[in-house]
Amino acid sequence: MALLKRKSKTTDQISKNTVLYAQNVRKSFGSKGNVQQVLKGIDLRVEEGEFVGIMGASGAGKTTLLNILATIDRATEGTILISGSDISKMKDAAMAAFRRNQLGFIFQDYNLLDTLTVKENILLPVSLGKMRKKLAEAEFRTIADILGIADLADKYPHEISGGQKQRTSAARALINQPSMVFADEPTGALDSKSASSLLGTMADINEKRGVTIMMVTHDPLASSYCSRVVFLKDGNIYTELYKGDKTRQAFFQEILNIQAVLGGESIDAL
Amino acid sequence: MTLFDLAFRSMRKNIKHYYLYFFALIFSVVLYFVFATLQHDPAVLAQNEQMSTAFLAAGILLIFIAGIFVVYANSIFLKRRSREIGLYQLIGLKKRVVARLLVIENFLLGITALILGIIVGMLVSRVFLLLLMKLIGYDLMIDVSFSMTAVIQTVFVFIGIFMFTTIQMISTVYRNTLLSLFNTEKTGEHPKKPKTRNAAFLAILGIALIVLGYLISDNMLNDLFLFNILAVLASIGVGTYLIFRVTIGWVFYKIRDGKAGHLGLSNSLSLAPLMHRLKGNANSLTIITILSAMTLTMLAGAYSFYYATEHETRSQMPFDFIFEKNETEATELSKEFDEKGISYTHGAIDLLVLFGRMEEGAMPVPSNELYIAIVSDKQLQQAGSDIEAPADGSAIFYSTSSISMFRDVIEMPLTLHLADDEKTTIEIAEYAEGNSINGTMLYSQLVVNESTYEQLKDQFTATGQAEMSRVDGFTITDSADLEAASEIYVQRYNTSGHIDYYSAYQRAIETNGLLIFISGFLGLVFLISTGSILYFKQMTEAEQEKKSYGTLRQLGFSVKDIMRGIIKKQVFVFGLPLVLGLVHAIFAIKVLSSFFQSDIAFAAFVAMAMYTFIYLIFAFLTVGYYRNTVKNAL
Ligand SMILES: Nc1ncnc2c1ncn2[C@@H]1O[C@H](COP(=O)(O)OP(=O)(O)OP(=O)(O)O)[C@@H](O)[C@H]1O
Ligand SMILES: [Mg+2]
Repeated sequence: MALLKRKSKTTDQISKNTVLYAQNVRKSFGSKGNVQQVLKGIDLRVEEGEFVGIMGASGAGKTTLLNILATIDRATEGTILISGSDISKMKDAAMAAFRRNQLGFIFQDYNLLDTLTVKENILLPVSLGKMRKKLAEAEFRTIADILGIADLADKYPHEISGGQKQRTSAARALINQPSMVFADEPTGALDSKSASSLLGTMADINEKRGVTIMMVTHDPLASSYCSRVVFLKDGNIYTELYKGDKTRQAFFQEILNIQAVLGGESIDAL
Repeated sequence: MTLFDLAFRSMRKNIKHYYLYFFALIFSVVLYFVFATLQHDPAVLAQNEQMSTAFLAAGILLIFIAGIFVVYANSIFLKRRSREIGLYQLIGLKKRVVARLLVIENFLLGITALILGIIVGMLVSRVFLLLLMKLIGYDLMIDVSFSMTAVIQTVFVFIGIFMFTTIQMISTVYRNTLLSLFNTEKTGEHPKKPKTRNAAFLAILGIALIVLGYLISDNMLNDLFLFNILAVLASIGVGTYLIFRVTIGWVFYKIRDGKAGHLGLSNSLSLAPLMHRLKGNANSLTIITILSAMTLTMLAGAYSFYYATEHETRSQMPFDFIFEKNETEATELSKEFDEKGISYTHGAIDLLVLFGRMEEGAMPVPSNELYIAIVSDKQLQQAGSDIEAPADGSAIFYSTSSISMFRDVIEMPLTLHLADDEKTTIEIAEYAEGNSINGTMLYSQLVVNESTYEQLKDQFTATGQAEMSRVDGFTITDSADLEAASEIYVQRYNTSGHIDYYSAYQRAIETNGLLIFISGFLGLVFLISTGSILYFKQMTEAEQEKKSYGTLRQLGFSVKDIMRGIIKKQVFVFGLPLVLGLVHAIFAIKVLSSFFQSDIAFAAFVAMAMYTFIYLIFAFLTVGYYRNTVKNAL
């Protein structure tokens, strides 16, 4: 089945640069008699500064995995460490606080609050006042400039385009200087031009600011912006690809090849 | 019969969602039915004419309140269900069929509420009748008789109301396009930057109008009384509307502008969504404020009347019985009291009756002439009174005529010219509460000490400028004997047109008991209607915002953090109409209190506290609903 099943078992292998470490993560849904195993023992390690893409057919468990790693959902079994904190043992409240302080999120349908302006939306994660206002303001300026939405600060979500909304959502994910950003199909609702522009910016932020990103996507073109792509199949890691020094074009081709082997919708993704 | 099944299933599903609406519907039926039952109850009809008329009038008012409430609540729920209605049409049901579905559903819901309401009404009407009888001081045990008339009346009234909601539903289906049905759930306007100068002007005008209204109400006791009332109502009404429509938006905008994007979580959950819906909420918040103020005034007024009954009656009638110029009757009554072993104090009081004139402008009344009886405090005391007159040459003034409204306003001491005599004056040291002798409203009374009395009597009887009169006053020693004594008096003098203290008290407690019962009833209905409407509206808002709460939870905000912002919003939504309504009512009650001889502050406070308590229950229910929504948002 699996071509390259990784077998890292010991926690002491974690290097200083490991941002995320997951071991034997399992997740089942449903109750007795009708249990559906969605994740069947995922091992994953993400180093600081990586841009990891997660691919797989619909229903493969991508969103489930992302939600678990992002502490939005809990694993049935397994150990997960982010920046050295064992989130699988955290209480709900501690987990929420951890999420707020350490992680950033970009959602497929933006999830902006309609009643807030772009700037207010972006500043939400720091709105409990942990970060000093001056610092938050400076951070907002920098990020808004990078994402090209500085002029939209006072606009409401209904007044801006989908691509601009997603940039706002990305800015919101970055404002609290997270150790890691999670994105679930951030380009899913965008046309190809806005999508590549957003991905370019994300790759840029990943490179220049050293932000670690994990992104779920269906789109091989989107994952070609990543430094590594992990393929899921039936709740297991099927294989993974590193970009290395390859050009994006070559990497894209490789991703397509794996998808062809995996079957499913690789063809219509083009 | 698939359509019927569909309707039935959809209704059952909706009851789970809208159980509060269903409950409110039942509640309206119960209250109306109880009212209708009392209106036709033989025990009530036996009391007096006034009572069934009062029930009839209040019943009509009740129909209006219940009708408006049901129709309004239905419109809120129709809006919530517009997506469902759109969906039925999308899957190919004809408008006609969808309309029929809703009508059947409405019919089933209505009939169920009607039947349950009448059954509950039958069970509780006895409790209400007992309460009423207790309030009006009627102790006999009574049975509520089942009234078919009441049932029929209730059925007719609510079928009428359901007709309205049916028309509402049909027009929702026919008048809206699919697109608008799918979008109504989202409608909430987007806050616009207010046109600064206009908005600032109107915002301040709103506050100014309310302050103006309060100021007028504080000085409204003058010749222009009726005009003042209208001015106060208009300026407070318009002011309140401006507060909700402009002032709040303007203030919020200023605050938000000052934050420059750093809104903070709790403002993001209170200020921002409030601004988002200000236009839609302004009307209902204004109406709720004004109606709260009116209900509060009505309740506080009615309770004050009830609470002050004894005090008010006593201050009008300090003696238990009096006889005017009728010494023989007085003697006979005292004989009968002696025979029956009722102990009492009896004394004769001489009245020196003449005209007096006040200095120009001393009292805000058109005529300065007064018809006065001068009495000596010693004679009053001999008849059982405890009034004591001040020093020689000065007097305590008593009058329950129309000038008593100005009792607190008139400045003392005051000089009064007696008879046509320019030289003889007397100083009024104090304007006391009530009467010194059971009032015939005819004359004001001046209580002076004995030597002053003797001197004035000599002077004016000599010149013939005064007439002499005599009153016999009785005070029963033991108040337990009052009822028996009153019975004796009434039997002897029923036809003479005079009334004794105890009968007057009984009559007053009956009227005021009825008043407090009816206004309490209406107040409760109103309170529950407004409370539920606020709750329904907030429930809809909570549904609309659910996705935002989910996002916030995902971003790592705890339920507690989020609830803090939501509670802040509820403090505004429930608190502002309540506080404004209370303050409005306080000023109204202050005006009302000048019609009372006694202090009604305590009674008014009790009425307000109870109102606030019930009102806050709805606020807590709302917060609970939000908490559930936030918890389940992730
Ligand atoms: N809350 C849940 N309860 C029960 N089953 C669930 C739940 N969430 C996900 N599943 C199941 O887990 C499986 C994986 O779902 P997941 O959303 O992770 O897929 P995905 O890879 O993100 O798919 P897609 O590409 O379509 O988004 C699916 O079969 C789904 O039905
Ligand atoms: Mg998914």
